[in-house]
Amino acid sequence: MRAILFSRPTAKLSLEALVRLLMLLAGVALLVIGLLFPLFAMLVKSLQGRSGDFIGLANFVQYFQTPALVNSITNSFRMALTTTVVVVGLAFLCAYGVTRTCMPGKRLFRMLAILPILAPSLLPAISLVYLFGNQGFLRELLMGHSVYGPIGIVIGMSFWIFPHALMLLTTALTHSDARLYEAADVLGTPKWRIFLTITLPGVRYGLISCLFVVFTLAITDFGVPKIIGGQFSVLATDVYRQVVGQQNFQMGAVVSVILLLPAVLSFMVDRWIQRRQVAQLSARAVPWQPTPSPLRDWLFALMCYAVAGVILLVIGTAIYASLLQFWPYNRTFTLQHYTFQGLAGGGWEAWLNSLKLAFSVALVGTLVIFFNAWLIEKSDGYQPLRQGLHLMAMLPMAVPGMVLGLAYIFFFNQAGNPFNWMYGTMAILVLNTLVHFYTVCHLTSVTALKQLDPEFEAVGASLKVPFWTTFRRVTLPVSLPAVLDISVYLFVNAMTTVSAVVFLYNSDTRLASVAVLHLDEAGYFASAAAMAVLIFLTSLGVKLLHAALTHALLNNAQRWRQAG
Amino acid sequence: MQTTMTSPLTAHPAATSHSTSTHLSIDNVTKCFGSFTALDKITLEIQEGEFICFLGPSGCGKTTLLRTIAGLTRQSTGTLIQRGKDISRLPPQARDFGIVFQSYALFPNLTVFDNVAYGLRNRRINRVGIRSRVTELLALVDLGGSEDKYPAALSGGQQQRVALARALAMEPGLLLLDEPLSALDARVRTHLRSQIKALQARLGVTTIMVTHDQEEALTMADRIVVMNHGVIEQVGTPAEIYHQPASAFVASFIGTMNFLEVTAGTNHRVQLGSTHCDCQPHHYAQGLPIQLAIRPEAVALSRTQSELMGEVTGIEFLGAFQRVALRVQGTGQTLLADVPSRDSTALVLQLGQVLSIHFPADAARLYPAGSSQP
Repeated sequence: MRAILFSRPTAKLSLEALVRLLMLLAGVALLVIGLLFPLFAMLVKSLQGRSGDFIGLANFVQYFQTPALVNSITNSFRMALTTTVVVVGLAFLCAYGVTRTCMPGKRLFRMLAILPILAPSLLPAISLVYLFGNQGFLRELLMGHSVYGPIGIVIGMSFWIFPHALMLLTTALTHSDARLYEAADVLGTPKWRIFLTITLPGVRYGLISCLFVVFTLAITDFGVPKIIGGQFSVLATDVYRQVVGQQNFQMGAVVSVILLLPAVLSFMVDRWIQRRQVAQLSARAVPWQPTPSPLRDWLFALMCYAVAGVILLVIGTAIYASLLQFWPYNRTFTLQHYTFQGLAGGGWEAWLNSLKLAFSVALVGTLVIFFNAWLIEKSDGYQPLRQGLHLMAMLPMAVPGMVLGLAYIFFFNQAGNPFNWMYGTMAILVLNTLVHFYTVCHLTSVTALKQLDPEFEAVGASLKVPFWTTFRRVTLPVSLPAVLDISVYLFVNAMTTVSAVVFLYNSDTRLASVAVLHLDEAGYFASAAAMAVLIFLTSLGVKLLHAALTHALLNNAQRWRQAG
Repeated sequence: MQTTMTSPLTAHPAATSHSTSTHLSIDNVTKCFGSFTALDKITLEIQEGEFICFLGPSGCGKTTLLRTIAGLTRQSTGTLIQRGKDISRLPPQARDFGIVFQSYALFPNLTVFDNVAYGLRNRRINRVGIRSRVTELLALVDLGGSEDKYPAALSGGQQQRVALARALAMEPGLLLLDEPLSALDARVRTHLRSQIKALQARLGVTTIMVTHDQEEALTMADRIVVMNHGVIEQVGTPAEIYHQPASAFVASFIGTMNFLEVTAGTNHRVQLGSTHCDCQPHHYAQGLPIQLAIRPEAVALSRTQSELMGEVTGIEFLGAFQRVALRVQGTGQTLLADVPSRDSTALVLQLGQVLSIHFPADAARLYPAGSSQP
């Protein structure tokens, strides 16, 4: 049997199949260890008593008998729903302005609108305190209401989530078929009917998808309510308080499970809608071009720039506050807050740690995620494994950061876990961040790969070239823009995320975003602002670098793209 | 150009001598996708040096069969033997073929040179060897001097030829062409058709081409394999396929064909309406309803009186000939007849005119009633 196996002329070629299988198994193992096992450990924990004995649903019973905790559910839902209405409404109007009118300065607006993504969600919260807090210079605008609580949470989250919604809706509104509009015009349809019968139906899937994304982001966000929530507690802050404040891990697990439910539910509804969505745009669709209409154009421009103005105001406030000696009493400029005294000299170290994490995640994550997507999309055989990997790749989207972080504690900190060595190292932060932001990168990779000719691999095989050569020489270079997008996405998110990593750092691996939190907790507000600004500037720098690199690549190194 | 004829590209002595040895035998190959049977017990022998066309409507299984031969799709059951070697279980890398896809699948980030050299580089041939080989191949497909261009800078026809050169680079024993011309416009297509055919004849490489275009198949193939619903309907030379279609499907798929409902008469007669017509000897039981198939160009019309008359209901001008639609008197069935332009003046064709219809007995073919037509 062995002799037959090795004497076959395909011995060298079955090596290729073997490598492929091993890679696939490695991809599956990554997500099983980095996602499924921790989540399972968390579910188990929620059913255990303090001493680790199985107590069934007793924790849940206790949870629902504690009014202070149950209140958070309604609080969370109220906040998330309000934010969803505000953000989606505003983002839809702005996206409409960008795609369907001739308003001036579209590019500039789109650039400004993306800025909030580059900052941790802690930054708008800090700015809001400076703007509307007890010493805030705009507090009269709130007419006696306190910014600490629901108002601050909704404004802060809206600021931070707005770019996500804007991007989704701009994409949805960009795809239009001019022929439908022409047909409607020829039939003498009034404008409002055209909007209701053509525009809205055309974007309904994008709109619904956007609603769910915004809702999920809002209900799972931790940074904003932590800084500005005051006594107003939501699910995400409850997890943190139970675990870090009261060391009640079981109750933390229970809150996590409850927080996981709406996110998973909205994820499933979204998937279900996506599946029903059929390509509405045929290849022959003619893109719709707006015609100038001065009144409409200027109205939309005014609104968009009002939004951009608020964004600049919020970011500007954080920068301004970080440079003042002592708000509001001593307004001389100083750089002393950038020495981060509240952290006993650990400030810049934390920033370096964040940089290390962001670069590692960007490098490792991009390669791993893109290659896994390639295995799923472009290789054949092992159908169940590939399908399983794809399903697991979609799952992280539904898992809130707080939940993932806590789940990691339960799984990796278990005595006897072979991966226990990772606990408290940079490695666990890299793994956690990679898994946390896996889905969007996976989808980007899949989209890019689907655009490639499906026969590249077959041609390579017919020319007796191993698959890894074709991957290196053709697939990767052709998909480079998408790969760069993924890496910068991972970098920025690794730089700004708080929710998952807040449970996983130790004194050697403290991160900049966590430092913002601690500085704020300790009352060093200006230093917290300074650190948030530092994160923002770092992300902005990388983003600009990415833009320049992409530009250079498309113009020079990838000359073949313009040929013809 | 001519020098390439003696180049190492004509590397298959067996092929060039046009011996009748078998290159590939496909035995009982079946492919199922779930409950759908894409290929149903396909058995076929392909000779060394032959140009074979798989022809059929979309979804007939022709592309699946090609991909099965390449190893890109694994058959559910059945065996494939190439030059005496069982390749049924081999991955594509271990099989001996070159392939050109409908989309060409040229690597967009590599120059024409690198595309053609793609497989050669992996063989550790030295630089000089690769360069001379690529130059030779590009000259062969008339693209000398385009080495440094990128695919996007080439026209569709040029891209197609680069794909062909790339497929031939590894001197495959078998060349597979998956609808290679369908993405091109009509003029380029006709030109490339003869170019590919000439190249194939010169190199003597066994070639299988998948197409849904009957004209392409008729002009290029040595033998045509007509497929429908995953089975082979007929294998034969273009003339056999055209003149002696083995089934009503083949008869209707290739060219234009009249189908008339008739009743079987004695062994060399059929009854159309109340008229008895001569035909080739048949074995249908007397009185059985069957179909008579005849090509429009085989139908003769005249201004005489005969048993079978038809009224002109439509005249279509098609340049070299006119296509006349007639209602056959006594049955009400419609019949198309092609009248060469120079004869049509003698007939003085006009609507409503009643003409006599003649079927040459050897041009009509009989098929069971209700047998499949596309």
